[in-house]
Amino acid sequence: MKNSDKLIQRLREEKVEQVPAWKFKFSSGLILLVFLAAVLFGGLAFSVILYSLRETGFWALEHLEHSGWEMVLSVLPFIWLILILVFLVIAIYSIQFSKKGYKLALGRWVMYSVALSVVIGTIFYLGGGGQWLEKTFETRLSFYESVQDKKAKMWMQPKEGFLAGSLQETNPDYLILKDFEGKEWKLYYEKAFIAPVVNLEVGEKVKLNGEMISDSEFQVTDIKPWQGRKGPRN
Amino acid sequence: MLISSEKCRELTDAGIVQKSLEELDYFSCLYDRYEEKMLSYIMRLSSLSRFEAEDILQEAFIKVWKNLKGIDTTLPLSSWLYRLVHNETISHLRKSKSYGKNNTIEFEKISLADETEDQLFDESNGKNDPVGFSNAILNKMALKYREVLVLKFLEKLSYEEISDVLKIPEGTVAVRINRAKQAFKKLASNDISKVTF
Repeated sequence: MKNSDKLIQRLREEKVEQVPAWKFKFSSGLILLVFLAAVLFGGLAFSVILYSLRETGFWALEHLEHSGWEMVLSVLPFIWLILILVFLVIAIYSIQFSKKGYKLALGRWVMYSVALSVVIGTIFYLGGGGQWLEKTFETRLSFYESVQDKKAKMWMQPKEGFLAGSLQETNPDYLILKDFEGKEWKLYYEKAFIAPVVNLEVGEKVKLNGEMISDSEFQVTDIKPWQGRKGPRN
Repeated sequence: MLISSEKCRELTDAGIVQKSLEELDYFSCLYDRYEEKMLSYIMRLSSLSRFEAEDILQEAFIKVWKNLKGIDTTLPLSSWLYRLVHNETISHLRKSKSYGKNNTIEFEKISLADETEDQLFDESNGKNDPVGFSNAILNKMALKYREVLVLKFLEKLSYEEISDVLKIPEGTVAVRINRAKQAFKKLASNDISKVTF
């Protein structure tokens, strides 16, 4: 008896069933769906990171003279960075199980997934999605430290040249500002750059760069609105 | 045999698969067409006896049958078969306690006369090495190296086909073959002094 006949006989006797075609299609579809969902969610996380970094004025941290790393770490949107990594891992892991997943090296898949997430995230951010998502987290999750909390933390470092609060008094020689901790500051601003959108009105919230000259006095070099301009920066 | 050899020969691989899905007996055509090729591959990869290789091939073809409706039509059928047979062989080797110890099967006749890598695996140059010498060297190598050498130089598969069989990128195949050739040469040059021609 030939081996092929033995095989056919065995298949008949053991009634070996074939895996239905729909299971293969379902499995391929599911893998693709998981990959795309992971890339999409990675993109959403990236949009919040963009919003968060822009809103807190993260890039100004490079001018920090003291305890820079500590502040950088406290301002970084860790939850979202972790989420983006998790989604990236899910995307890469899932695509390896696809029919052609092995065709590209791991590094290539990482590169393409990150690029796709960055594109999706940037579009979402430009459409205001990053801000919306961040606000949703802020209102729904009590433990979540919002971008505004991080921003306040970032701009309440007078020794590092960062100060923020609301204007209490304005006159040509100086300004009185109450910071977010309720402390009053006398601001000297004769040579300061004043952003065009700043009106210097009582009650207006502003953020300042400059130099602390005493416990209650601050020499201002830049006056900017607390909230950025309309659109994705808000 | 339920389907005649002549009838099987008339069919393409895709035709056999199609007919098999309609009538089980046609599946024997597929087995007959690839039996020798796959048995040879199993033996080359594992150094198992023909008897054991036949068992592995039977198991592999049962998996082929089970997954026939999910066949990847973008691949040549032979690559898909190699993949399933390869996986079944590796799975068997992992379970087997005698893995790597059974070197009694005469392997391919490989010449080490001049030490260029391609000639090491060139079966057509007519120079015979001692029985089991190349087999012994291959068996000393890590599986990831052995499998690419067997697929490339003994099974004569292209990089793309090896990539499809092992499910690794073509670039990785190239790197692995290169490293495997170096490892083979090193082992061969270490061992050649111990061989009596």
